[in-house]
Amino acid sequence: MTVNPFATLGLAPSFDLDLAAAEKTHRELSRTLHPDRFVAAGASERRAALTKAVEVNEAWRVVRDPIRRAEALLELAGATTEDEGGRRPDTDPEFLMEMLEQREALAEAKQAKDLARVRALAGAIETRSRSVEGTLAVRFARGEAATLVGTLSELRFYRRFLDEVSAIEDDLVA
Amino acid sequence: MALFEIFDPKAPARPIGIDLGTTNSLVAHVTHERPAVIADCDREVLVPSVVAYLPGGEVVVGRRAARLASEYPRDTIVSVKRFMGRGASDPETRRLGPYQFVDAAEGAANTVRFKVQGDRVVTPVEVSAEILRVLKQQAEDELRHVGGAVITVPAYFDDAQRQATRDAARLAGLEVLRLINEPTAAALAYGLEKKQNGTFAVYDLGGGTFDVTVLVLDDGVFQVRSTGGDSALGGDDMDRAIAHELLAALGFDASRQTPQLVRLVLDEARQAKHTLTTQPSVEAEVPGQQRVAVTRARFEELIRPLLERTGVACRRALKDAGLRPEELDGVILVGGSTRVPAVREYVAKLFHREPLGDIDPDQVVALGAAVQADLLAGDGRSDEVLLLDVIPLSLGIEVGGGVVDKVLPRNSTIPCSAKATYTTQEDRQTGFEVHVVQGEREMVADNRSLARFTLKGIPPMPAGMARLEVTFQVDADGLLGVNAKELTTGIEQTVSVTPSYGLDDASVERMLLDALDHGEDDLGRRRLAENRVDARRILRATRKALAQDADLLEAGEREPVVQACAALDQAAAGDDASAVHSRIEALDEVTRAFAGRRMNRAIARAIEGRRVDAVEKSVDHAKGIEAAHATQGPLPSVGGVS
Repeated sequence: MTVNPFATLGLAPSFDLDLAAAEKTHRELSRTLHPDRFVAAGASERRAALTKAVEVNEAWRVVRDPIRRAEALLELAGATTEDEGGRRPDTDPEFLMEMLEQREALAEAKQAKDLARVRALAGAIETRSRSVEGTLAVRFARGEAATLVGTLSELRFYRRFLDEVSAIEDDLVA
Repeated sequence: MALFEIFDPKAPARPIGIDLGTTNSLVAHVTHERPAVIADCDREVLVPSVVAYLPGGEVVVGRRAARLASEYPRDTIVSVKRFMGRGASDPETRRLGPYQFVDAAEGAANTVRFKVQGDRVVTPVEVSAEILRVLKQQAEDELRHVGGAVITVPAYFDDAQRQATRDAARLAGLEVLRLINEPTAAALAYGLEKKQNGTFAVYDLGGGTFDVTVLVLDDGVFQVRSTGGDSALGGDDMDRAIAHELLAALGFDASRQTPQLVRLVLDEARQAKHTLTTQPSVEAEVPGQQRVAVTRARFEELIRPLLERTGVACRRALKDAGLRPEELDGVILVGGSTRVPAVREYVAKLFHREPLGDIDPDQVVALGAAVQADLLAGDGRSDEVLLLDVIPLSLGIEVGGGVVDKVLPRNSTIPCSAKATYTTQEDRQTGFEVHVVQGEREMVADNRSLARFTLKGIPPMPAGMARLEVTFQVDADGLLGVNAKELTTGIEQTVSVTPSYGLDDASVERMLLDALDHGEDDLGRRRLAENRVDARRILRATRKALAQDADLLEAGEREPVVQACAALDQAAAGDDASAVHSRIEALDEVTRAFAGRRMNRAIARAIEGRRVDAVEKSVDHAKGIEAAHATQGPLPSVGGVS
């Protein structure tokens, strides 16, 4: 991230923000910058607009997604989300153990072609994911960014779990 | 050949919109500020997407080809869209059908190839180009001089399928202004018709593809929030489900199924499906066989699994858009298969509301494409309407252990770009293998492989020291380019992602030249004409910018720009295409800094404007939705079932 995505959309950096308003700003900026607005322009202008349009779209991509938004906030706060080798710091072993169990339960439900069970497991994870997002909102607001790296990786585990659920759904319904 | 007529100086070039469908294709244009479909000489609007290769080399397209399908089942390609951008070993080639496929030759591009009359081998790109040629001719008969074309593709088409569509257009001699997604095109046609703001879902079930798109309409901006679907699911599968039923009832096992029989049964199945739209049951009759009764209840049972698959995609699209069904302002039906009553009932239940279908679901996509073509080609109206589309599938890179690292997530607004940095796993590793994949699954093997290339020549370093930066760029057509760079040495490589399934530039160029009588000569004249058009456009835009933002010019900046304009003016009056080109570049060079400043001013204005009238606009927006609800009343049910 080279540019502050919040600033690009005219927002103050925050986890808990008005997404509808951010989307609206993104739309107004796109109205000005989208390549389609420059079909009749010269190359230098088209390139300048394209660069900005890409930047605005990246800002919106980061801001709309809780995980990317949190990563951007951590980066702005100077907290690192990765170590030198590009690896992410270790997560709480107890949490890891529990996620492992959840993944096993999911694999079993998949094996049994039990779509209802798959969806129930997903529902529970979605609830936990929302609750972690709530925690992040509160603690980012309190300026505790540096301590949130582990909480963020929980969110990533939930995301991967739910992606796996989508894949299983596709297989079971096809 | 048609390319010659493009330069008829008397007629103005008119942009067209093309819906290149699985079952039928259409062409439309905008006339008197309204989109309209273009009929052929028999007043027919739909061109069946069927191409027959006859003995003696004749190629027939459309209704006549459809009639020849039972006589020449192997040589008549139906629903070619299902094969676009697919590999020779794709499961799609093994479904029930009468074709003969050629195995991928050693070392050749892995593309589906049909074997037709006289041992001729054709690719899906070539078959589609035949259909596009007919549509282009149909438009030329009406408009005399056809300009650029907007062609629609299913939103869920992957990169290879998009590239294949673009190749087919080039082969047909069409200038592609833009590929746009079918649901977005449909929304464009609806949104302009109704002039209403709000959030809509588009449920598009065609002959061979299913798409669902959730988008926000806001004062002329059509912003896609999420999209999903299945590029191998549609009315054809309903036909196949009935066909399997008929074949079983008539006692034909696989060993006794000839191409002729399969074609006849598939055609009869389609007829039965159409009849069941209005009748509770039908007696299917395959020529020379006993009749088989199919009830609507049985049909609905057969297609239930297909509908369930669309349901999964719809729920996911809603979730990605962050919406519950009740939060939508409307659901738009697109595609011929949405005429099936069971589909309508299923959609109504899924989204908790009666769907809208008051524009002909067969025509709405072509009408929207025509609108977009008009916007992109004309200079005035583009201020009113804008499409903000997304990539349908995540794009990523293979990392250790066959796992995908997603670099650009699905539903990212285009144009977009993203960077990711990787390092070496082994000491003294001098090359990076970059493997680009598309899809949502965790493991590389479960996703679509788009391209592989190796970045070579990196000096040996200990593991973990090198820094490989991979940049993905997706343009406004949704086409991907990938760049890889080793940061410590600056070694760099760029690929446009085409080679694994599409045609390369050289082969398209060769096919075009083969088709031309005076190949080189015409291309030269064409290049000069195009450069002149560019020159005039750029001069107009530059002079406008100088007048508008004179205050942004720094001291001494104006004179070089004025001089470069004069030089370009002079070159455009001459016959030297390359001189025009180089002076366009020179003008570009001297306006670069100025263009950057103009862009910053435009951004500042957009953000400021947003703050000032934010309140006012949100009130207007709410009013727009209320007004729409008030005028809509009970939602119209759709007649015109075929």
